[in-house]
Amino acid sequence: MRLECSGLNFAYPESETMVIQDLWFAMDGPGFHAVFGPSGVGKTSFAKLLANYRDRPELPIQTSGIGTILYSYNLERLPGWSSTGRHLDRICPADRQDLKKELIDIFQLGPVLGARFSQLSMGQQNRMNLIRYLLQDFDLLILDESLANVDEKLRQAILLAVKELFSHKMFLYISHNLMEVARFCKDILVLTEPSREKPSKIVSGQDDTRISVLEKPSLDRIMLEVMSAF
Amino acid sequence: MKYAKILGPLLGLIVCICVAGVPDSRAEQISLNYRLKWLFNTSVAGDIFAMEKGFFAAAGLDVTIKEGSPEKDAIKELELGYADFGVASADQVIRALDKGADVVVLAQIFQTNPMQWIYRDDQLQITRLSDLQGCRMGITYGGNDETIMKTLLAKAGLTLRDVQVTGVRFDFTPFLKNRVTLWPVYRNSQGVILAGQLAREGESVRFFNPADFGVDFVANSVVTSGKMAADHPDRVRQFLSALLDAWEAAMDPANQKQVLAAVKRYDKGTQGEVQKAQLDATRDLVKPRPDTAVGRIRPKAWAQTEAIMLAQGMIKQPVHVTSRLRDLASFQ
Amino acid sequence: MLFRRIYQFMIVYAVFLAILLVVKKGLSLSDYVIPGLSLILETAVQMSAGFFTDVMDTLSVAILGQGISIFLAFFVGILGRKSSWAGSMIRVTAYNIQAYPIVALAPIIFILLGDGFLSRLLIAAMICYFPLLLSVLGVMAAPVEDIEHFYIATGRMRWQLEVKIRAFENLSKLTTVIAGSATLAMAGTIVAEFIAANAGIGYSIRIALYQSDLAAILTALFMIGIVISVYQGILETLGEMVKAKWGSENKGVLL
Repeated sequence: MRLECSGLNFAYPESETMVIQDLWFAMDGPGFHAVFGPSGVGKTSFAKLLANYRDRPELPIQTSGIGTILYSYNLERLPGWSSTGRHLDRICPADRQDLKKELIDIFQLGPVLGARFSQLSMGQQNRMNLIRYLLQDFDLLILDESLANVDEKLRQAILLAVKELFSHKMFLYISHNLMEVARFCKDILVLTEPSREKPSKIVSGQDDTRISVLEKPSLDRIMLEVMSAF
Repeated sequence: MKYAKILGPLLGLIVCICVAGVPDSRAEQISLNYRLKWLFNTSVAGDIFAMEKGFFAAAGLDVTIKEGSPEKDAIKELELGYADFGVASADQVIRALDKGADVVVLAQIFQTNPMQWIYRDDQLQITRLSDLQGCRMGITYGGNDETIMKTLLAKAGLTLRDVQVTGVRFDFTPFLKNRVTLWPVYRNSQGVILAGQLAREGESVRFFNPADFGVDFVANSVVTSGKMAADHPDRVRQFLSALLDAWEAAMDPANQKQVLAAVKRYDKGTQGEVQKAQLDATRDLVKPRPDTAVGRIRPKAWAQTEAIMLAQGMIKQPVHVTSRLRDLASFQ
Repeated sequence: MLFRRIYQFMIVYAVFLAILLVVKKGLSLSDYVIPGLSLILETAVQMSAGFFTDVMDTLSVAILGQGISIFLAFFVGILGRKSSWAGSMIRVTAYNIQAYPIVALAPIIFILLGDGFLSRLLIAAMICYFPLLLSVLGVMAAPVEDIEHFYIATGRMRWQLEVKIRAFENLSKLTTVIAGSATLAMAGTIVAEFIAANAGIGYSIRIALYQSDLAAILTALFMIGIVISVYQGILETLGEMVKAKWGSENKGVLL
């Protein structure tokens, strides 16, 4: 699995301001990768371009071993005409019923399956949304703040479980939580503002797979490297 | 030279004073509003002629003639002060009196009611009212024609149940498509158009005139408020005299060209030939004989109109409409 | 909701009547111009039953016309929701047809369909349909990206689902517009009857107008107001029930 970008430029139509300028990077292998950067640096724009890059052949994005790319984000909603449990039933392929149950347990959503989406808290809504993406066919899943508003302990548990259950899949995790990104992600693409003329770079994360492991000095080094990248 | 220096400005001053002192004939004119019952067309040729040929101005009046419509009721406007004179149908006058309105009739423009029924002469012959039995006919529910037809049928011992009634709307399709035999029209406007249309297709028509069978239901009349008649008899006389003179002139065949030209200025949508035929038809209704005075009020017809309305429950009690009839002579 | 509608109408009607009577008194007008209270009451007693039947006749046509216009608005709105050439064509055609005042189209309708039930129905539907169409087009043409994204990304999106999502997300707006369009349907039917029909309250008003009978017109207006208030109140109550059962709003948060 490889995701490569060689000199990507992007500006919105009728705007002269570049959102992404001359972006070069490559990410290899399955696992959790991250896109990090301050607000407004173009993380979401990049994620959307990546999700639909096959519709725009002019974009200098190449993949190998990646078929389906899905993009999920934290403001998504499920339709309100039936309970969230019924929605999950409907969108879950028949052969993944066990996986669905397992994810519901891990994500701690069992008690709210009978509720409508609008009745859930924001954290519950984001978890519910993420489950339905994890039940789909994908090779690369972009998680744009998909675990926002979820408490830290549960978020970490979810991340580790997803890494374990979907170890053969590639994830691109977009988050503002530097420590989380540095600790659980493999490659961290640090995006910088085009106006600062500082190239974006890849920083290697700690890529923890267990919650008990916490290498503080290593984590500090990664975080420092990320911070100094922009 | 000395005097010339003084006389020049002095003469100028005198001329100025004289000019300023000349009375402005316009300023002395009395402004009046006159509300018609319907739009400008050949049916109101006399009204248009009065305005166009200066009959009102000559009488010292500045009259604004306003078009009418079903929603604009001249009698209500008299009471509200929006109009000083107006044209109203006899049934309006009688209904208004029934409800306490203070209205008087000054002139009866149409000596014969233009509301008549058209029919193809190869389909029907109406020599007696009983010939109406079983006829397919158009009736405007709530309109004058319904009242008139009910009276005609009653005279023959019939009711609306003895005929096949089609509700009348604004177009003539039911009659043109031969779905009805008798169709109510204003003889001098729609009647002329329909007759012409059918004549072009080789069909000849006749008109069923209720007056021929003893039902003399009065049509449009000139009205004003009782207060105006009592407080300003001179003004009423001036107005009525000018108006009736104009109608007399407009109905004079010798003035036909001028009348048609005047009407054309207000009714541009109707073809000249049609307007000429409409004017001929209007003349027959307004001045059926050369010696008939235009505007002649016929109290018997008014009394019959009231009796018909009373009989049909359109008014609750007698209103004695004949006591509200004032012709020009009563203002002399 | 229902009773509020009725008493609100009663208040408006009473104020309107009071103003008329004050004007009558102030200007010393006869019953011919503005009828007195006793004449109005007398007329109401005489004509209420007949007018009620007429209003119900009109209402039945209006309900049917409204149903047709709702169907048509959704049909055109769904077809025209895409920004494709066909969608744009449908929208422009719909706007153009509505640009003609109904009184201009009415003669053609009456010539083609006669002055019976069908003409009234068609005119009611035409008058009521355009505001509905505008709302439905607005709703159907606006993607609900937060919900639709998943279905599009996973290839599950079908037009039925798209319509369902957009309708559901705008349930409140749609129910309000549908309830509001009842008045338009009623007005449309009355206009049709007034122009050229031979039944219904519009037809009765036309007769009253011919006869300069303002008391009858006031009675008819009262009947129309009461019946439309009840009908609209019922529609609004139904809308509230639909929203309560299906709506995503006001569901509260599970603690």
